[in-house]
Amino acid sequence: MKHLKIILVSFSFLYLLSACNKDELDLASPNDLTTVQYWKTPSDAEKGVNSIYAMFYKDGLWARWIYFRLDLTSDEGFSQSPWTELADWTKFNYVNYDFWEGNSVTWRDTYKAAFRANQVLAYVPNIEFEDNVRKSQIIAEAKFLRALHYYYAAILWENVPLVLEPSSPEDLPAQNTQEEVFAQIESDLNDAFNDLPLEWDNFNIGRPTKGAVKAILAKMYMQEHRWQDAKLALEFLISGQGAIYSLVDNFEDNFTDNNENNSESVFEIQFGDQRLGGTGEGADAAVSSQRAQFFAPRNIGWSDGQARYWLVDAFKQEANMQGGIDERLKYSLFYADSNTDFGTLTYGRNWEWGAEETWFKKGSRSYYRTNEDYYSQVNWRLVRYADILLRYAEVLNELDMTADAYQYVDMVRARSNMAPLATAYPQIGNNHDQFLDRLKIERVLELCGESVRWEDLKRWGDLDTQASIDEIITRDPDFNNFVIGKNNRLPIPLSEVQNNPNLNQNPNY
Amino acid sequence: MRTIIKCMLKTQYLIILTMCFAQSVFSQSSGQVSGTITSTNGEPIAFANVIVKGTSIGTSADFDGNYTIDAAPDAIIVFSYIGFKTQEIPVNNRTIINVTMEDDIAALDEVIVVGYGTQKKEDLTSAIAVVKSDQIAKRQTTTVAESLQGLATGVNVRGGGRPGSEAKIEIRGLKNLQSTNPLYVIDGVITTANRDFNPNDIETIQILKDAAAAAIYGSRAANGVVIITTKKGKAGPMKIEASTKMSTTTMPRYDLVSKDEFVRLNNMAYDNAGYTRQDLNLDVNTDWQDVAFRTGFIQDHNVSFSGGGENSSYFVSANYFGNRGTVISTDFERMSFRVNTSGTKGIFTIGENVALSNSKTDEMSGNPLIDVYRLLPTIPIYDNENPGGYGYGKADVANTFAANPLAIADLSDATNQNFRIRGNVFAEIKPFSFLKYRLNLGYETSFDNYKYLRKEGNWALNQAYQRSYTNQNRAQWQNKLIENTLTFNKEFGKHSINVVAGTTYQKETYEQINGTKYNLIVNPTTGEYFEVLNSGDSPQTGGYKNEAVLISYLGRLEYNYDDRYLFNAVIRRDGSSRFSESNKWGSFPSLSLGWRINKESFFNVEAISDLKLRASYGELGSGNIGYYEYQGFINSFGAAVFGVDQEAIASATQVQLANNNLRWEVLKQTNIGFDLGLLDNRLQITSDYFIAKTEDVLFGFPILMTTGNDGGNPISNAAVIENKGFEFNVSYNQVVNDDFSFNASINFTTLNNKLVELGNGLNESIQGNTITRQGESVGMWYVLQTDGLFQNQDEINNYTNSQGQVIMPNAKPGDIRYKDINDDGQITTEDRAIVGSPWPDFEMGLNAGVNYKNFDFSMNWISSHGATVYNGFRSTVDRFDDDSNYRAGVQPWTPENPNTNFPRAEKGYGMNARGDTDRWLEDGSFARLKYIGVGYTVPKSILEKIGFSSARISISAQNIITITNYGGLDPEFNNSNIFQRGVDSGSFPNLKTYSLGLNFGF
Repeated sequence: MKHLKIILVSFSFLYLLSACNKDELDLASPNDLTTVQYWKTPSDAEKGVNSIYAMFYKDGLWARWIYFRLDLTSDEGFSQSPWTELADWTKFNYVNYDFWEGNSVTWRDTYKAAFRANQVLAYVPNIEFEDNVRKSQIIAEAKFLRALHYYYAAILWENVPLVLEPSSPEDLPAQNTQEEVFAQIESDLNDAFNDLPLEWDNFNIGRPTKGAVKAILAKMYMQEHRWQDAKLALEFLISGQGAIYSLVDNFEDNFTDNNENNSESVFEIQFGDQRLGGTGEGADAAVSSQRAQFFAPRNIGWSDGQARYWLVDAFKQEANMQGGIDERLKYSLFYADSNTDFGTLTYGRNWEWGAEETWFKKGSRSYYRTNEDYYSQVNWRLVRYADILLRYAEVLNELDMTADAYQYVDMVRARSNMAPLATAYPQIGNNHDQFLDRLKIERVLELCGESVRWEDLKRWGDLDTQASIDEIITRDPDFNNFVIGKNNRLPIPLSEVQNNPNLNQNPNY
Repeated sequence: MRTIIKCMLKTQYLIILTMCFAQSVFSQSSGQVSGTITSTNGEPIAFANVIVKGTSIGTSADFDGNYTIDAAPDAIIVFSYIGFKTQEIPVNNRTIINVTMEDDIAALDEVIVVGYGTQKKEDLTSAIAVVKSDQIAKRQTTTVAESLQGLATGVNVRGGGRPGSEAKIEIRGLKNLQSTNPLYVIDGVITTANRDFNPNDIETIQILKDAAAAAIYGSRAANGVVIITTKKGKAGPMKIEASTKMSTTTMPRYDLVSKDEFVRLNNMAYDNAGYTRQDLNLDVNTDWQDVAFRTGFIQDHNVSFSGGGENSSYFVSANYFGNRGTVISTDFERMSFRVNTSGTKGIFTIGENVALSNSKTDEMSGNPLIDVYRLLPTIPIYDNENPGGYGYGKADVANTFAANPLAIADLSDATNQNFRIRGNVFAEIKPFSFLKYRLNLGYETSFDNYKYLRKEGNWALNQAYQRSYTNQNRAQWQNKLIENTLTFNKEFGKHSINVVAGTTYQKETYEQINGTKYNLIVNPTTGEYFEVLNSGDSPQTGGYKNEAVLISYLGRLEYNYDDRYLFNAVIRRDGSSRFSESNKWGSFPSLSLGWRINKESFFNVEAISDLKLRASYGELGSGNIGYYEYQGFINSFGAAVFGVDQEAIASATQVQLANNNLRWEVLKQTNIGFDLGLLDNRLQITSDYFIAKTEDVLFGFPILMTTGNDGGNPISNAAVIENKGFEFNVSYNQVVNDDFSFNASINFTTLNNKLVELGNGLNESIQGNTITRQGESVGMWYVLQTDGLFQNQDEINNYTNSQGQVIMPNAKPGDIRYKDINDDGQITTEDRAIVGSPWPDFEMGLNAGVNYKNFDFSMNWISSHGATVYNGFRSTVDRFDDDSNYRAGVQPWTPENPNTNFPRAEKGYGMNARGDTDRWLEDGSFARLKYIGVGYTVPKSILEKIGFSSARISISAQNIITITNYGGLDPEFNNSNIFQRGVDSGSFPNLKTYSLGLNFGF
């Protein structure tokens, strides 16, 4: 009897051991789709490609910090931020190469964008579409955006690794030279060109067009001094199949939300203020620009970046055809005499800052507000037709076609009521160097504060000789810290170099 | 739920089955024995336990110490009672046995809860520390963890005085990189002893330190296990106990300069930079510490009712705990209620423990502990020109971005409320004296209610305009536990065997919904915002749910031969939902041995009353990771703007990478130790040495940014960490006579933490100013080294590297000279080097107590030696490139004052202000009088007149003496970042506390 009890109790217990179902351990998240479940439908592909555009709104890129690299590092801008390290990173005072806001976040966000593009490029080809045109467009968009982000990576760091496949945590990508990066960009853009439309319908404006592809290609060719290739690319927009662009009458329309995606816009980053979250990946992640909040004058914005005063002087060098001040100054800069010169206030205020101080105005909302915030909806014209025209003039000049180049500069000048170049500066003639020197000023007057100056300086070789550095120093004393052959590019974030045996630090860092 | 029902059904089946056999178990004995149990001084011992050895027959003595029990003439009767030595007396055909029980000073026969069972302390083979309720009850603490400080070896506790804050506890070092929190088991329910738990309910705490001890709890026990047993009723008439404790708390203060000195130094910094001086508002002199800090007040009222009969017991308690914080607008309040009951009939025992609590915290807004020294004394508290009406920094007048603590407390307010039910029901069946089946059903749930209100207005310079909004969430946490255990316990001659086998099922669920609304309406009558989610616009909602399941099988064998040789083996097999299909299961064994040398016949040393050697080895699996870490997910929160109408169109993609092959982290721990009792156990020494190696440590080390990963580093089985340590505890107790006794104990702990290997192809991981590198401890200081000041231009020019390159050509006299470690002729982050460790060399605790007549006195010191810590306060106020208040007594270098180690002050000049240098590292050693108190027990003769059974009054103080050279607020600080454990940046300090306590029994 006793033994029977033991046996039965033991048996019951063994039964209990197997009681709870092991399948209980297979828990799926009730919150999100897994990566395995995604990338199955055309809708997944649409959302997936849209996520690459969402990278424009991240603070390392076109929401905030990249302007510090492109505008403030150049001789157009500087920083008096009380955040010493932030200011140091606009004056070649790079001590901590892992400084997040100055370096790492832009690097990281560039590769976030690449990862998103790579997902689309890897998974969308396997998705079945009814509309195969749309499918190839999505792939082309991803290639364009990947090329665009690598272009700016090459401008900033030059020798960056090309990551072209979806990532795994243990990846240690190999370094590429700037030439290799440019070659990949060229290949991606040429692919994208074939499948992208010349224009988008009203719902899809903001996606790249054939014109945008050629514009970025031209920028890249010019950095490589491949003038003939650049000429062909630019001609697509100016005289070729893609010649659908024209300058808007009102110069200001390039910098406000009043006439966005206009005839002058070649590629425009679309910002909005619908979503008031942060720049991260949380619910309601913002789709806005924070540039103006960071660049507006003290007590309005954070004034972490401001313009150099030589820009104001540059505008006042030459009167317009009515003998007045070049009106582009009015829309380009906040400065002390703007009220006297044009009757414009600064965010509704009289000038309360230093007489020799000036701030970037393009993209600001002073035209209708008295303050800024983190949610500017004003689109950023990354490439506009005026830039294309001036680039074409530069390319022609480089190809010894200086005489042909004049008309394109004049188109830009004429819009702002400036006399034809040959009239204003008859001494230039067909002298290549003098024409280029003048063009450098023309680009400043037209494009200052539009994030093109840094690549211009690099392209012109102005960062390669001490003589030209000395000249830049007269405009921007921060270049006293500039070391030729070193500061032409940023240091690669130290943690990346230390943890990736396939990656070397940039020269002289 | 499906599974729970299923498990319960099966359990019922077993219960019914077992009941069928129950009837025959009664009435197996014959003969009756009775007698009186008294103590050595002749007083009867009421309710002493009387058991017939090897049977389930037992009773307890009555109020006068009389007992009667059925026992066979050849039986052995075991007499036991807490505080007395257990005696075994053979009946030898007697019918009357009177027993005199001796006081058990050494308490060696103490019963230790070891998880799914108990063991006598003398039979332990692994490292277990015990902390008693009277030690805990003395101090004024919010959580259990704080109560343990300094009372046990190998247990490192760092608290803080913020209301409702939970102390950090680390048992035997940093063994993994996720969380250092041990597993808490309260009355058999695996849970956390957070601030919702009333420490007054604690009867005992056992801390399982080595792997062999903790092994039975398997995964999650790798950080050690804290087993808490709450109070139970004892047989007898109802006892009512009431206690109240009231304390005042005060903040330590920063020693800052006077306003005049501030103005002088600030002007100096601007002058040196060639800047225009700030237009300081000299009419104002604000002491921001007075604004932000106040005297705190803690009250802790507790009442309990307990009692029971021969076969049942009950314990009911209620508690109110209120803490008005030392920082404005911080509070914590807890109300809790507990009922513990149990009853026995025949072979059945059932019982339950349940606690209800409601806690509410008014959270601290911002960090006033930093702001008070970043704010300038020339800033007014209020300023009508600012939105919101509060004073703060202003460009060119007071250049600081610090937050006005009064403003942020008003404009940004968060409260947290949790209602928690925690409890268990258990049923035991003992069909045979040697066999016990136990079913334990645990359930815990909390209903969490979080509310944040952001009013319009600013608290700092350069704040972007913020619309008013409220963000609120409601959440429920649930934890369900089902445990079946079978215990077999039998002696065969000199062999004693105890076997436990069981299954456990645990499921935890957390579910939250949240909502936000902007532009709240202000009530014109009260001026307050409507803060429910009704008014306002731009609504946003969100929510999520997390679930995890853990299924385990466990088994333990204890074997004891002749009380001389002890053997203990545990095996546990765990399955966790947190790992991928192929890696869900892991098996983890452990083994421990003990040898009681003093029981050997050859051992005959008069002075040594107890000597035991112990050795153990165990492996523990750990899966302390997030819920779904092994899976990659699609983030669908994003949007991009397109079209003429500029609409935000949805986007979705993978943002965070995942490792699909996550597997169990395994802790392998070896422990050797001994217990030595001398002079009739008046002097006791316990010592342990351990090596704990954690392999496949689960952690999300930063991966390359080129992967494009964001949203957190994917967890991987990344590292191998080793902790070696030595623990030593010596205690002495002596009862000199009835009026006078004293005790003292010292505990000593050393710990050597080392990162053996870092996975993922990484060589090192740099976080802030620390580096975690192979072969070194986790989080070593990795900074630039300063080398005095340049006194003149010649010194600057002559400071060259081996190539003759001037290293710091831009420096000026009075600037800091940094070492060019890599000899590249410039100072960059590559010149950083490992310069110190945030880990202490050793830590000590000292406890002492004296009883004299009706007075009792006790004190507790803790000390920590040899840690290097980062003084965040000094790194802010001594920098001078950015404006802040300054430290009293600083004398920056000037040509007139070159004999100083304080560099030149220059606004906007970063080189002297760098945070990543050894300038801010200090010796963090300290010794602290953690507790001192004296109590008076009112004599019985007086009490009887007023009908009380006991009364005690006590006064005590905490943290009143600290011996240290550390220049921050409190050397005993707590940084929850595992890699930055030595960084003190605005950590909330421990408070000086003075308490008055009253205890009454009826």
